[in-house]
This record gives sequence, structure tokens and C-alpha cells, in this order.
Amino acid sequence: MRAYWCVFRMRRRMELQYRGAALGGFICQLFFGLILIALYRALYAGKPQAVPISHISSYVWLQQAFFRMLLATDPDLADKIRTGSIAYDLCRPLHLYTYYYVRILAQKLVGSLLRAVPMLAVACLLPEGWGLASPAGASALLTSLPALFIGLLCVSALENITMAFTMRTLDPRGMQALLNMLMMVFAGNILPLTLFPDSWQPIITRLPYAQLLDAPIRLYTGDYAASAAPGILLLQSAWTVALAAAGLLFWRVNQKRMVVQGG
Amino acid sequence: MNTIRLYCRSMGLQIRSQLQYPASFLMQTLAQLVMEGGEFMALMLVIDRFDRLNQWMPGDLFFFYGLMSVTFYLTECFGRGITGAFPYMIRTGQLDTLLVRPRGVLIQVFCSAADPRRIACIAVGVASMVLGSIQARIAWSLPKALLLLESIAFGFLLILGLFLIEASLVIWSVKSVELTNTLTYGGRSACDYPIDIYPRPLRILFTVVAPFALVLHVPAAWILGKPLYGWPAWAAFLCPLAGAVSFGLFYALFRRALRHYRSTGS
Amino acid sequence: MSYITVEHLRKTFTVRKKKDRGFLAREKTTVEALKDVSFTVKQGELVGYIGPNGAGKSTTVKVLSGILTPDSGAVRIGGRVPWLERKEHVRRIGVVFGQRTQLWWDVPLLDSYDLLREIYRVPEADFRRRMNELSEALDLGSLLRTPLRQLSLGQRMRAELCGSLLHCPELLFLDEPTIGLDAVSKLALRDFLQWENREKGTTILLTTHDMEDIAALCRRVMVLGHGSKLFDGALEDLYARYRNALPVQELTVQYPNIDHVIAAMYQELGL
Repeated sequence: MRAYWCVFRMRRRMELQYRGAALGGFICQLFFGLILIALYRALYAGKPQAVPISHISSYVWLQQAFFRMLLATDPDLADKIRTGSIAYDLCRPLHLYTYYYVRILAQKLVGSLLRAVPMLAVACLLPEGWGLASPAGASALLTSLPALFIGLLCVSALENITMAFTMRTLDPRGMQALLNMLMMVFAGNILPLTLFPDSWQPIITRLPYAQLLDAPIRLYTGDYAASAAPGILLLQSAWTVALAAAGLLFWRVNQKRMVVQGG
Repeated sequence: MNTIRLYCRSMGLQIRSQLQYPASFLMQTLAQLVMEGGEFMALMLVIDRFDRLNQWMPGDLFFFYGLMSVTFYLTECFGRGITGAFPYMIRTGQLDTLLVRPRGVLIQVFCSAADPRRIACIAVGVASMVLGSIQARIAWSLPKALLLLESIAFGFLLILGLFLIEASLVIWSVKSVELTNTLTYGGRSACDYPIDIYPRPLRILFTVVAPFALVLHVPAAWILGKPLYGWPAWAAFLCPLAGAVSFGLFYALFRRALRHYRSTGS
Repeated sequence: MSYITVEHLRKTFTVRKKKDRGFLAREKTTVEALKDVSFTVKQGELVGYIGPNGAGKSTTVKVLSGILTPDSGAVRIGGRVPWLERKEHVRRIGVVFGQRTQLWWDVPLLDSYDLLREIYRVPEADFRRRMNELSEALDLGSLLRTPLRQLSLGQRMRAELCGSLLHCPELLFLDEPTIGLDAVSKLALRDFLQWENREKGTTILLTTHDMEDIAALCRRVMVLGHGSKLFDGALEDLYARYRNALPVQELTVQYPNIDHVIAAMYQELGL
């Protein structure tokens, strides 16, 4: 257990080392958020939608704030896979899946917390319709927090599968870019899922990608009623368990193959 | 003349180098196609839901998007040395090997990298432009075609110039260089759409500081037969020159920074 | 008439260190890489430039090759000031960085050389003549159609040398050229450098840690330490002067480790 905790602390220290870069990245993301909201406001001016603009602006800010939860590729890990030095990790007395799961989780948690706190603080200060609106109610807030946490567990499980998958290809960059794009589109980062065509909603909201950020955000804004929350949390948990199981299986197959190949 | 030949030969070597690994190249090109395709899909979904953006019809929006994409990715394809490799060369001290050769630094950096994978993104951009041109029923004429070329060429210069800011800041060892992404990638994203939908500060930013509006949007609006900023027709031909002015200014900044280059590494 | 004149060369770097606490606070410290270095080199000389890591060797080479601008001091090489007339200057010099490549990784050597010909604007006929000469002297013949990535370290260094000498420079800087090479490759490299120096009259400035390189190639050595020139003269004189400082086991070696000598110098100067 202590070993896993150490991984966690190390990541935090590494993240803190790049404060200057983080500041630049933060301002850049703030800027992207503003641009997106300006665009949606202009679109809404022509044709208002059932989902109010204040929900959309909240959606954008929450996506920006937790961006690092979705997309935070670990360059060390990717390099390890490419150079084959991942073989060292195979010799460690740790459960490999858990080790990587913790590593990914730590990076996503620390990265998104460092980004989310200042981002949400700034977003709260922006005027109504531009910034982050308060949650739809106490129950909305109370259900969106566990949903966000399950989303974090879910995205870590998902990334661990990606990792196992890319271990099999010699040059993981192409595959990673492809999977990342899929995630960005269907997690609602490029365009809020609420603005996808209505006929798509039954499908896209049930995909694992929607469980990461879209579900917690919709609970927060009230697009999902509080009464629907148990069902949503259940769906999220089900995907998390399924993805973790699939990842575990994948890693086991990989490990066997590597042992056979002699590293 | 010799410089152009040098550039062409360098590009030839670059492309040959990358084709040494055909499977990886193909995979990455495909990934680029999916990435750019995803962005384009978002635009289509937006149009599907909202039908129009102020006075801009779907065809106009496709055309704007395509023009930006083509210009930006052409720059990344052929100017990769400046848009990608340059800051890395400064950080690692690799720039030394260029400084000991009797050619301009910028020319050599320009020659030092290419990104042929971007061809996939350029293809998506061209498709978007063609789609926009058909939907908006653009009546193409020689002046319009020339203006389009002018716009892309000066857009190329503008984007190179913006990336020079990053290189300059890296030399001055400014820590928050990611800030320049607001101008480069942020500008690219923002100016996928016509500039007049944004609030005034953003419009000023993309007209004066990073004049995408003058270089790309005014010509595009003229080609589409729509007014933008109420400029007269001759202005459409003059505005793209702003790209050259920006490049000149940022290049001067870069020259000043280069004097502080300290060649890290052994 | 000396070919290289260096007078009172100074170069400082400011290093920003992060403080332990505080969000954006940085401490600035100044590091003197070169403090008042002067020397001259005659045309056709082969000079060894030695000193421990961080002594200022690389900084000197970088100033002399026009990469860095010094804080103060005068440098003239063949009548030119490197950092003021960079292009004119570098046209006439060649530089080999031991740990950096100027050749292309994935294409045959010949294509890299062809591009260098373009960069230095070497006429086609001159290029072909020089190429023949170098590929024979460096034994590159069969490698010219091989990409760099497939070459061994020794072959790679020979290829680098060829690339740096294609334009017939009057002056060649070599920064740790034999690092990591096996004995056979080292010997071949030394033979070649002697040949180039003798046949072409190329002035060569060599920085290295390898005393055998120095002993085999250079009549004259300059020792640099803490940014100052500590010694300038023949290698035998250097050893003769500091013989007492050498530990017993080093006395029987033909070329004792230079670190002992430098340590003795530091002690003498109270550094």
C-alpha cells in the first residue's frame, strides 16, 4: 500500500515543478473557454435551444477545469513502452495493473485538481451566461460530486486499457492520437454532448466516454434531474467495473506474451 | 535562388526520411485525419443544430473553416521547423549546429523539419472549402482565385511569425511559453469562425495583434460576396499584407532574442 | 603573425535558480564561464585544449565559432570577429561537436553531404574532388550509401568529420571527438587528423579528456580551469613541472591522468 502512496506523492512533486508552464497552460485554457462560450452565445442569439445558455457555459468551464482528467498522457510511461524499458517494471514486486492504475489515477487527480481549483474560481467570477453558474440545487451538487469521482475511476480504467493496447504496437503515437480524439469528441470536450443531435442522445450518453465528465456535469447543471441520479451513478459504476475487468484481462495477456518473448 | 533550391532539397530529404517507416507514417497520417475529422464533425453538428451563425450561412461557415485549416496546416506541413522543432532546438542547444554554418538561422530552421502527415488535415480543409464553395454558390473568377492564393500565402507568413514569438520567449527562458498558444492554436480555433461573432477585445486581438481577420477573413468575406467590417473591395486585396507586417515585427523580435542565445548543453 | 588572437575574453552566464519556497520567486546567480582568457594560435598549429568539466572549454569554442557573443574581450580569427561576421567566419571553419550530429539520421550519408554542399555553396567539381580525398582518408567508401543510423560509433565520428571538412575549412574545432570510441577507431581518427593538418595546413583546436589524443597529436597544450588559462606550453613541460604531484602508480604510465596535474595547479593557485 505504501508503495502506491509513494507513486502518488512523486507525481504531485513533479507536477508542482512546472508551475510556470502550468500558469501558461492555465491562461491558454481560460482563453479557449472564453472563445467557445462566445461562439455558443452567438449561435444561441440566432436560435435559442431547450438547454439554456447558462448550462452550456457551465458545461464548458467544467470541461476546461477537468481537462487534465481526460487528456494527460504520461510521457514517461509512453516512452517506457516505446523503448521497452517497461520490462523493468515487470520485475517489480507489485501488482502491475494496480501499479499503473494508481499511477494514472494520481496523475489525473493531481493534474486536474491543480487546474480545476483556479479555473473554477475564475469561472465563478464571470457574469451570468459567461461563467460557471451555481449548481441546480443542493441535491444536484451532492450527486455530481460522487459522479465526478466515479468518472475519475472510470477514465483511469479506460486509459489503462489504452496503455495495454498500445503496448502491443511498436509505435503507439498513431493509436494513442486516435483513441484520444475519440475520447475528446464523445466526452463532450470539443462540443458539449447536450448540443449533439437529439436522436444521438440515447446512444452517446450511454457510451463509457459520457460517464467521465458529461454525466457529472449534467447532474450539476440540472440537465439530469436529481431523481435520475441513482440510475446514472449505477451506469457509471457498471462501466468502471467492466473497463477495469477488461483492462486486467488485457494486462494479463500482455504480461504472458512478454514473458514468452523474454522481455 | 540557391536558397529556394536548398529548401526544396531539404524538404525532399525530410519526406524521404519519414517514409523510411511507412507503417508508422501511415498510422500517424490516419490519426491526423481522424483528429481533424473530429473537429470538422463538430462544425457539422453545430450547423445541424443551429442552421446559421448571425448572417453567416452553412456554406460560408464551411468556407471560413476550410480556409483556416488549409492555411494553418500548410504552415505546419512546410514550416514545421519553425512551428514545431525550433523551441526544442533552442532548449537542447541543437541550434549550435546551425549557427556554425554560413546561412541565415531562420532559413536553416525552416529547412530543418517538415510534417507531411499534415496532408490529411489539409485534405479535410480542402474538402470543407469545396463544400462551402458549392453550398454558398461562389461564382469563381480570376480575381477571387488570386485573392484566395494571396490570403493563404500571407496567412502562412502570419502563422510563422506567431510561432517566432514562442521561439524568442524560449531564448529569453520565459517559463510560461505555453501562453503563446493562445495566439497560435487559440487564434486558429477562434478564427475557424468569422470574427464578428466575438466580443470587441477578442476582435481587436485577432485584427491587430494576430491579424487573422485581415489576412483570412476579409478576403474570405469578399470571395463569398458578404461585407465584413464594411471594407471596400480593394481593401480585400490589401488586408492580407498585414500578415507580412506581423511576420516582419515578430522576426525583428526574434533577431533581438537570438543575441541572448546561450547554447545550453555541453 | 598569429592566426587566432584572443585577448581578455570574458563570458558570464546568469543562472536562475528556483527558491525552495515562494510561487514565482527566482534567485539569480552569475557564473563566470570565462574570466580574462588570452592566447594566440599560429596558422597550421594543432593545439590541445584541456581542463575539467565546466572549466570553460566549450564556452571558448562556442565564442570562437561565432555561436556565443562574449561580454568583453577581443577575438580575431584570420582578421575577422566571429560573432560580428558570423556567416563570413563560419564559411571558413569546421566544427565537430562530439555529442551532436549535423548529419541526417535516416538517409544515406551521401545525401547529407550533398545538402551540406548546397549549404556551403561548394562548386560541384571541388566537392567531388574533396569527397574522393576524404572518403579515402577516412575510409568511408562503402558507407556512403548507408544511413547514419546503421553506422557504428566510430564510423559515425568519421562521417561527422567528413561532413565538417567538405568545404575545406582553414580552422577545425573538435569538441571531444574520441569520446566513447574504441582503440582502433581512435588511432584511425588521430592518423587522419595528422594527415589533414599536414597536407592541408588546417589549424586544429582540439578539446578532449584523453591524454593520449593530446600526446599523439598536439605539441602544444593549453589548460583551462575555473575560466582561466592555467598553463600554455608543451605537454612534456606540463608533466615535468607537476611530476611531484602525481601519485606513485601514475608515474609508470606513459601519459598520466591529467586530473592530478590540474588538482595540483588548483592547489598552487589557491582555487
